[in-house]
Amino acid sequence: MNAAPLSVDAIRDCLEGSVPSAMATCAPDGTPNVTYTSQVEYVDEHHVALSFQFFNKTRENILLNPRATVEVTHPRSGACYRLSLMYLRTECEGRIFERMKAKLAGIASHTGMAGVFKLRGADIYRVLSIEAVPGAALPLLAPRRNLLAALRSATTRIAACADLEALFSASLTALVSDFDLRHAMFLAHDAADNLLYTVASRGYPESGIGSEIAIGDGVIGVAAEVRTPIRIAHLTEEYSYHRAVRETAREAGLAFAQREIPFPGLPHPHSQLAVPIVAGPRLLGVIYLESPDESRFGYDDEDALVAFAAQIAAQMLLLGDAEEPAIEAEPPVVAQPSDTTPLTVRHYAEDHSVFLDDDYLIKGVAGAILWKLLGDHQETGRTQFTNRELRLDAGLRLPDIADNLEARLILLTRRLAERSSDIAIERCGRGRFVLTLRRSVTLINVPRPGMAA
Amino acid sequence: MARDSKASKSTKQSAPKAASASPAALIAPEHAAFLVPGVSVIAASRDARLVPSVSRGVACRVSEDRRSLTVLLRRTPAATVLRDIADSGWITTCHSQPSTHRTIQLKGRDARIEAPGPQDIALAQAFVDGFFAELEPIGYTEAFVRTVLFFAPEDLVAVRFTPTEIYSQTPGPNAGQRLA
Repeated sequence: MNAAPLSVDAIRDCLEGSVPSAMATCAPDGTPNVTYTSQVEYVDEHHVALSFQFFNKTRENILLNPRATVEVTHPRSGACYRLSLMYLRTECEGRIFERMKAKLAGIASHTGMAGVFKLRGADIYRVLSIEAVPGAALPLLAPRRNLLAALRSATTRIAACADLEALFSASLTALVSDFDLRHAMFLAHDAADNLLYTVASRGYPESGIGSEIAIGDGVIGVAAEVRTPIRIAHLTEEYSYHRAVRETAREAGLAFAQREIPFPGLPHPHSQLAVPIVAGPRLLGVIYLESPDESRFGYDDEDALVAFAAQIAAQMLLLGDAEEPAIEAEPPVVAQPSDTTPLTVRHYAEDHSVFLDDDYLIKGVAGAILWKLLGDHQETGRTQFTNRELRLDAGLRLPDIADNLEARLILLTRRLAERSSDIAIERCGRGRFVLTLRRSVTLINVPRPGMAA
Repeated sequence: MARDSKASKSTKQSAPKAASASPAALIAPEHAAFLVPGVSVIAASRDARLVPSVSRGVACRVSEDRRSLTVLLRRTPAATVLRDIADSGWITTCHSQPSTHRTIQLKGRDARIEAPGPQDIALAQAFVDGFFAELEPIGYTEAFVRTVLFFAPEDLVAVRFTPTEIYSQTPGPNAGQRLA
C-alpha cells in the first residue's frame, strides 16, 4: 500500500481506455451493481469523467447514491488501482464532452462497438482516494523520449524564428526531430471564413498546403471549435478525413470539388492528435499529428504538445501582429517574361478561386490577393508590393484584426512554388514582396453568377 | 470444469426465505454453459454506508443443481469486497466474454466466504488460460494477461451465493434487461 496518496495524474495511463474498467455502484436499498465502463477520462488531479452512454442501473444508482468505486488497469504493466469516487454532475457539451466523444469513437471502433457506443454525457466525479491494488505488475519500459527535454529543445528552436514562415517550418522540424513524430501538419485559422488551412506539413507525399478543414469537422475541426486537444487512439470512421473529404466533394458536386486541395493526411490513421494554438480567446491555428500505429499518443504527449502550442501561439502573435516597417531592400532583378505563349489566369469572383490555365491554384483571400497583384501588375507594370497596402485594400475583405495576412501570403507563396513555374512571390525585406512573372499572362475574370460581366 | 460437491449442503444452508421466494434454480443451462473459462469475473459488494467495493476475480463455477454460483477471488487484492461480503452477504458479479461482448450480471444476498475446493486451483488456472485465449486475438500479450490474473494458490478464496436476479449487460439496446 502506498504511504503517500496517489493523484489522478500519477495513474492516468490507466485511463486510456485500452483495458475496460470495472465500476461498482450501490442502490439505496443496498443492492450493489457492477459493470464494465469503457471510458474513464482524466479531468484534473482531483477529478475524472465517466462516459454516460445508456440509461441503466449504474445511472439510476449514482443519481440516488453518488458513491462509486472503479478498478482500472495499467495498459502495459497490468497494475490495478481502485478509485473511490463521488458523482458531481453530468456535462453534455463542452471540452470534456468533446474529448470523450472523440476518444469513445476510437474505443468503439477498436472493440467492434461502432454504432453501439454513443456518448450522452460526461459524468464528472471527484476522486476521494486512489488505492494501489496489491498484485503482480510487469516492468515498464523507459519512454522513447523525455518529453520535457523535447519540449525544451522545441521551444528553443522556435524562439529563434524571425518571421512566420520560419516559425511554421521550425515548429514542424521540432515535432519531427524533438518529439520524434512522423506525420505533422500546421494549420492556420482563417477568422473571416472561420476555417483552417494547411500552411505547412511533414511526412506526406503531397504537402497539402492550402487544404481546408471546416471548424467542427473531424479531430482538427473539433479541437479548434472547443479549443481543447482531441486525441484518438484507434482508427475511426467518424473522425476520418478520408470519408469527410469524399463526402464534401460529393455534396459540393464535381465542379466545385476540383477547387479543393486534397487533405494530405494518412488515409487510415490509427492515432490522431489535434492541439489548438490559442492565445486567450483567439484561435490561431491547430497542430495535427497522426500515426499509422495505435495508441501512439498518450496524456504526456498531449501535455507536452499543449505546452509547445502555447509557445507557438506567443510567437505567432509576436511575429504576425508586429507593425511592418517597409524596410528598404534591394529589389531583386526581375527577368522579363520570355515565353511568348501567355498563361491564362482565370479568377472566379464567386469564391476568389484562381485557375492557372485549367489547373486549380487557390481560392479565398489568398486567391483575391493574387488576383489583385496580377491586375496591378498588368495595369501599371509594378512588381513590388507591401503587406500594408494589402491590409488597406477593401476589396480583399481582410478583417480589421487578426487577419493573419502573413499566413495567407505564405500559403500563396508556397502554393505557387508547388504548382507553377511561371508565377512566383518572393520576399524582399520585412513587409515587402516581389511578384515575378516568367511568362506573360492573360487575365480572365469570371463574375459572380447573375452579375453583369 | 470442477463441480460443486457441497451443493446439497449449500441449498440447506442458504437462506430459507430465498429458497421459498424462488424455488427453481435461477441459473438457466445456457448461463451455466456461459460461466466457464473464457469469461471474466468481477465481484462487488458494499459496506454499511452503501459505499461500493469491487475486485477482479479469477474464476467461477455453477453448482450441479444450478442454484448457486461460486466465484474465486484473491484474498489480498479483494480484501475490501470480502469484508463487505462477510458483513452484509450482498454480492453482485459480472462476467463478460471479450470476443462476443456477451455479459451477464448476477445478484445475491446470501454470499458466504468458503475455503476453495480441491479442484479450484486447477479451475482458476483454466480460467487464466481461457481468458488469454479470448484476449490473444485482440492484441493482448500472454505476459500481460497472466500478470493481471496472477494468483498465489494460497491466496485464493471462494465466495458462494444463490443468485436471485440475473441481468444481461451485453452492450446495446438490451443491456440491463432482466434474464431471470
